[in-house]
Amino acid sequence: MQLTQRLITCAALAACLGVPARATAQQQDTTRGVRIGLTYQPGTKPGVVVFPVSGAGGDSLQAIVSRDFDYGDRIEVIGGDAVQETARQQAAKNAVDFTIWKSLSAAAVVQISVTGSTAHVNVYDVSAKKVAASHDVPLSGAPNTEDWRMSVHAMADQIERWITGVRGIAATRILYVRGNRIYVIDADGFGEHPVSEPGTVLAPAWSPDGRTIAYSELVRTGWNVVIRDLATGREHSVTTTPGGLNITPAFSPDGQWLCYAHGVENGTDLYMASASGTGAARRVTVGRGSDNVSPTFSPDGARLAFTSGRAGHPEVYTSDVDGSNVALLTPFNFGDQNYRSNPDWSPDGRLIAFQSQLDGRFQIMTITLRDQTVKQLTSEGINEDPTWAPDGRHLAFTSSRTGVKEIFVLDAESGRARQLTHDPGARLAAWSHSTSAP
Amino acid sequence: MKTVFRRLAPVALVATGACFATSNDVKLLQLQIDSMRVATVRSDSLHAAQVNQVIATLGLVRDSLGTVSGHVVKMQGDMRGDLHDVNEQLLQIQQLTGQSQNRLQELRASIEQRNQDMGEGAAPSPTTGAKGAAAAPGAAPTGAAPNAGEPGPNQLYQLGMEQLQRGSPATAVQAFQKLLQDYPTADITPEAQFYLGEAYRAQGNAAAADTAYAMVIQKFPKSPHAPTALYKRALYLEQQGNATAARALLNQLISTYPQSDEAALARDHLRELK
Repeated sequence: MQLTQRLITCAALAACLGVPARATAQQQDTTRGVRIGLTYQPGTKPGVVVFPVSGAGGDSLQAIVSRDFDYGDRIEVIGGDAVQETARQQAAKNAVDFTIWKSLSAAAVVQISVTGSTAHVNVYDVSAKKVAASHDVPLSGAPNTEDWRMSVHAMADQIERWITGVRGIAATRILYVRGNRIYVIDADGFGEHPVSEPGTVLAPAWSPDGRTIAYSELVRTGWNVVIRDLATGREHSVTTTPGGLNITPAFSPDGQWLCYAHGVENGTDLYMASASGTGAARRVTVGRGSDNVSPTFSPDGARLAFTSGRAGHPEVYTSDVDGSNVALLTPFNFGDQNYRSNPDWSPDGRLIAFQSQLDGRFQIMTITLRDQTVKQLTSEGINEDPTWAPDGRHLAFTSSRTGVKEIFVLDAESGRARQLTHDPGARLAAWSHSTSAP
Repeated sequence: MKTVFRRLAPVALVATGACFATSNDVKLLQLQIDSMRVATVRSDSLHAAQVNQVIATLGLVRDSLGTVSGHVVKMQGDMRGDLHDVNEQLLQIQQLTGQSQNRLQELRASIEQRNQDMGEGAAPSPTTGAKGAAAAPGAAPTGAAPNAGEPGPNQLYQLGMEQLQRGSPATAVQAFQKLLQDYPTADITPEAQFYLGEAYRAQGNAAAADTAYAMVIQKFPKSPHAPTALYKRALYLEQQGNATAARALLNQLISTYPQSDEAALARDHLRELK
């Protein structure tokens, strides 16, 4: 009798899931997680069932974790009312029926229960029919507060690492400019709030630890680079090159140095200064009257990529961090009037994303450092100012595909894009570095 | 009495004679003065006309000079613009040439690989140096040329660069060292010597990197990497606290490679060191 009921349940679930279930079934051989004893193939997504969560804020927690898995683009969340009802029954009995989940091509089942400020997480390997990971994860603050949400994101990232071997990017934030202020928003599009005083501001950048940001601000004497502590709101200007144009700051990976563009009448060059704002700034480009802007550090901090107009029109160049050994990175044809600019070095060091002008419109592209292979990632609307997520797979960028400028997030592997901001005029995004505690 | 009148008559005539002559003479004099005035006025008019003509001529000359000056300024501007364009185009050509050289480098490595696969042994391209040149396809390797089946210089260089770029500097060091050992006269050797230093630097072995850079300066002073190597040596010595030696190398860089980017950076750096 129990067997009959189980078969009926399986059939009902399969019918409810329809095509997605079949599609998932086709991936059965390859959708397997590293941490649960199977082989995870890049380009495939292991199916995961997230059980209803018991305890305070359980529904919100389940929704956040499921959405984080979805936005991470490495896990296929198996959902639907029938699935949830079956999961609810099994969670109530505290007994996981692996046969049902295997029939739905699930690779793992995630069961979370909240007790006080601790979430207990069990990750089940469906094929092996056993617990693959079991951990207590601390939660911060009361349910649905900013801190609590971020701790849930961090937990989701950790679970994603247990399943796929790669940590998620949910516990990260993105800076951007809208109107006259800099805003920050969680990677899932929630928790947006301003982090700068009203003023004319540009080019925000994260410090590696996510505690401070740097940006350009228009003041009476010109453009200043300002460093702001996000916790205290304390600010100080980098005054090593006072006056004129001081724009497009970028922190070195160790957080000790700040590279930015300083412009005078005779062109703009990159300068390296202490992030504390003390000491003399050292010039690291020799533009000879051209403009050199938008620096980005390689992950090891040994190289720089930047935009330079030294050949008559902007292109992306690389150099050693001391300014020597300059090389053109982006290929172009002789006499080409289109240009390429605003590079961002990927966290794994293999790629540089940049914007490229095509028929008067900017599109996001990547170029490999090894063999200069260029790949176009966008084609809809105007797409500018790419910034890498710490997983080296997702990019945030400014897009006008909806008719107004908004920040979008793109999965460079699958091409899937989602809109992050929903107020017109958002631009100049910067994704935080850390995947743990931005 | 009559006698007195007779004697006074000539005197009176003489005395009044002037009165009689004055009227006519005044007229004559006036005529003469008028004619003189007319002559003077004519002369002045002529002179004024000549002066005006000179002034007009000077104006014309000034205008012409202004026009010529404008042309010269415009021409200078155009020439500067053209020169700037030419410089930019030269830079573009240099950069594109650099890219082409990279492609050629990859192609050479592929050819070497293909030759190796075809069982012809290491048959480097004719540009691979003394040993490589002797080891043309079909020709037996001479001297210290690698054994059949061993990678050629371009393959080793390509391997080293790939390993360096993928974050495996230790493997890159091995590839560059083998290249330098087996093909000391290959065209690609100066590049390999420089990137050996880069690989050591990526490993965190600053002293070995400094030695490799010193070899670039010593053995390949005409290499485009020589000023870079010199600058890096100066920075290394500065980090070691040897400002005097660092200053000497920066001055050597400025005097030997004055047009290089590194020389411009060295000039900035010298101001900080003083």
